[in-house]
Amino acid sequence: MARKTKQEHLQELSDAVLDMDEERTVKAAHEALVEHVDPYDAIQGGLSDGMARAGQLFEDEEYFIPELLMCSDAMYAGLDVLKPHLKQVGESRGTVVIGVIEGDTHDIGKNMVRIMFETGGFKVIDLGRDVPPQRFVDTAREEQADIIALSTLMTTTMDGMGTVVRLLDEADIRDGIKVMVGGGPISPGFAKRIGADGYAVNAAEAVKVARELVA
Amino acid sequence: MATVHFVPAGRSVSVDQGTTILEASRRAGVLIEAPCNGAGHCGKCTVQIPLDDLPQIVVHVDAPADDSGEGVVLACHSEVYGDITVLVLHRAEEGLRVISAGSGVQAEPDPFIVRRYDATARQTAIWAGDRLLAAEPGDTTGKNYGLVVDVGTTTLVAALVDLANGRELTSASALNPQSLHAQDVLSRIRFAADHDGLSLLQRDLITELNRLAREVSTKAGIDVEEIYEVVFSGNTCMLHLAAGVNPAPLGKNPFTPTLTGNSHVAASALGLAIAPSGLVYLPPVISAYVGADISAGILAAGLAELPGVTLFIDIGTNGELVLAVNGRLTASATAAGPAFEGMNISCGMRAAVGAVERVAIGTTGELDIAVIGAGVPSGICGSGLMDLVSELVEHGIIGNNGRFGTPTGLAAPLAARLVGEGSKAAFSINDTVSLTQKDVRQVQLAKGAIRAGIELLLREEGLEPKHLDRVYIAGSFGYHLREQSLTTLGLLPPEAAGKVMFLGNTARSGGEMLLVDHRLRSGLKTLVDQVRVVDLAGNPAFERVFMEAMGF
Repeated sequence: MARKTKQEHLQELSDAVLDMDEERTVKAAHEALVEHVDPYDAIQGGLSDGMARAGQLFEDEEYFIPELLMCSDAMYAGLDVLKPHLKQVGESRGTVVIGVIEGDTHDIGKNMVRIMFETGGFKVIDLGRDVPPQRFVDTAREEQADIIALSTLMTTTMDGMGTVVRLLDEADIRDGIKVMVGGGPISPGFAKRIGADGYAVNAAEAVKVARELVA
Repeated sequence: MATVHFVPAGRSVSVDQGTTILEASRRAGVLIEAPCNGAGHCGKCTVQIPLDDLPQIVVHVDAPADDSGEGVVLACHSEVYGDITVLVLHRAEEGLRVISAGSGVQAEPDPFIVRRYDATARQTAIWAGDRLLAAEPGDTTGKNYGLVVDVGTTTLVAALVDLANGRELTSASALNPQSLHAQDVLSRIRFAADHDGLSLLQRDLITELNRLAREVSTKAGIDVEEIYEVVFSGNTCMLHLAAGVNPAPLGKNPFTPTLTGNSHVAASALGLAIAPSGLVYLPPVISAYVGADISAGILAAGLAELPGVTLFIDIGTNGELVLAVNGRLTASATAAGPAFEGMNISCGMRAAVGAVERVAIGTTGELDIAVIGAGVPSGICGSGLMDLVSELVEHGIIGNNGRFGTPTGLAAPLAARLVGEGSKAAFSINDTVSLTQKDVRQVQLAKGAIRAGIELLLREEGLEPKHLDRVYIAGSFGYHLREQSLTTLGLLPPEAAGKVMFLGNTARSGGEMLLVDHRLRSGLKTLVDQVRVVDLAGNPAFERVFMEAMGF
C-alpha cells in the first residue's frame, strides 16, 4: 500500500472527525504516528480542522447538537492516541475560565462551548455549574486567564453575569480579561448592557468570537 | 416624554424617551407576545409603525434583521423618541381554546365548609373545620358553593361547584393578565424581584380572578359572597404569585419553594372578593418545578392506586413527569422550552383561530390539514406542529438527524412544498406558513428533553419503556394530540403505543376533587411528601440520553 502524504493523513483525520467516526479517527491517528506525522500537526491540521468543519456545518444547520457531540467524541478519541506523543505542548490560543453562573444548574450548553474551545486550541478551566461570580474572578486572576466565558439557561440568574464584570472592575483586572456571555435568555443587548466584551448565540460561534477577542 | 398610541386596542401611554415599544405596551396594558422577553431571538413581538412615525423611533443596532417589510419592527428592540402610533399585528388570539375539562374521579361530597342551621337562633353557622367563619340569618344550608381556579401561567380557568352534590355549575376562562408583564415562569420570577413587581403581578391576577368569580356566580345566579372556599391549583410559581409570596427562591439553585401548600390563606388577605371571611386552599406542592397542579393531577388520575407502571406527563414549557410504580411515585421536571406552546417556532402560535392543529399526509402526497375556525392557516399550534413534524419524519422528508431532505420517490405534491436549501430549507404549508429547519431543531430540543426525562425516570426505578402499562397525558394539549405523532416524534418511546390516554386539565379536575371532599387533602399531602423528586440536570447521564433523544 502506498504511503499517504502528510496532507492525506491530516485530511483523513479531519474527515473521520467530521463523519463522527470514532474508530476511524483512532485508526487514522495510529497510522499518522506510524508514518511519522508530527502529532502536533495531526491534532491541529487533522482533528481540530475536523471540529472546525463540524462547527461550520452546525452553523449551516446541517449538523445539530448531537452530531457536534459525536464529532467531539471522535476527536477526543484521536487526541488520546496522539497526545502521549507530543514532544512539547503547543502554544495555546489563550486561557478560558468557563462556567454556569450561580443559581443555575443547566450545563449542557456550557459543555458544548467548552468542547469547541478545547478543540479550537484554547486551554479551558471549567468551573462547572452554579458558580459564584467571585470564583470566576479569583480563578481568572490565578490562572492569568484571557477570557471568562459565562453561561446560563435561566432568566432568573443572568444578572450574576453583570456581577462578574463589576467584580473584575473592582479588582482592577478588567482590562486584561475579556468577558463572553451566552445562553437561552441572553441577547447581544444584554451583553452590552452589563459591559461584556462578547456574545455568541451557539458553541460554534463562541469559539470564533473568542478568537477575535484574543487576536 | 412621548405618547405611544396602540391600535387596535385604542390605548395610549406616556413614556420617557428611549423606552422600548414593548415596555410601553406593558405599561399601557396592551399584550404583545414576547416569549423571549425582549432578548431579540424569537421575532414574535413585531409591530407596525406608520411610515410617517418611523423617524420617532430608533431601532436598536442589535435588532435581528427582519425582512417583513418597511415599518415592521421588533417591539423589544425599538425605542420611542416621539409620539407614535403602533399597530399590534400579532394579537390574533381570537377564540383561544382553553382546555378546561379534565378527567377525575367523582368524589362523594364532604366539603371543608359546613353550614349548620340553628333553629332557635334562626341562623346558619358557617364552619371551616372547627373554626366558625360566619353566621347568616335564616336557613342557608342549601347554598354551599366553592370555587376552583386553575391558575395557569398563560390561562386561568375558574369553575363554580355546588358543594352539596359536587356538581360543577358554571365555568369561565381568561388569559392570565401577568403575561402582560412577563410571559414565562422564569421571567415572572425575575419581574417579581423588582421593586413593586410582586405586588403588581399579584394585584393584576387577583383583579382578573375577582372578575371570573363574579362571572361564574352571575351565570349560576348566586352571590359571589356565598362562596366561602376557593382552591387554587397551579404550578409552584403561580401559587406563590397568587398568594403574594416572593417566588425568587424558585429561580435559583437549590430551587426551594417557600410555600409548600396544604394550607389555607384568608381570601381577604389576598384581596379575593368572595365571602369576607372566606378561605383559599393551596394544595400541596411537590417541588419548585412540580407544583400543586401536578399534585392535583396525581389525585385526578388516581396514580397512587394504579397497579403496575404508569407514566403521567404534563407537556408544557416545563414538562412535568410523574412515574407511578405500584403506588410509589417519582417525579421530575424537564426544561422543554416553549416550542409546543407554539413559541420559538417561526410560524408558531397558540391554539387560536387560524392555527393549524392537525396535519396528515395522504397516500398521494396531498396535505390534509385542520385549521381552528376552519379558515386560512395563519400559523401552527403545538398539536399541529407535532403532527406535521411526525408526518414529515414518517415520509422521510425529515431524516433521523432532523435534517430536511428529499427522499427518492417522494410524491410530487410534497416535493413541491420543500423550498430553500441548507439552513434556509423549509416545508411550506401556504404562502405565509411554513416549517423551517430551525423550527425542527426547536422541536428536537423540546421532545428530546421530555423523552430524556422519561428514560431517566424509568432508569431510576430500574425499569425500561417496555415495562410501561399506561401513559397519561395531562395539560393544555388536552385531547388534541395524536398518540401516533407522539411515538413517531419519539417524544414517547415506541413501547407507549396503544397505552396512551389523554386526561385533559387535571389541575382543575383534581382541584375540584379537593374542594368537594376535604378528606382527600391530608391523604394527598402524605402522598406528596413521599414523592421522590429526581433532579435531571444533576444526573450525569442526562446529557448523553438527551442527545440520543433528539433524533427521530
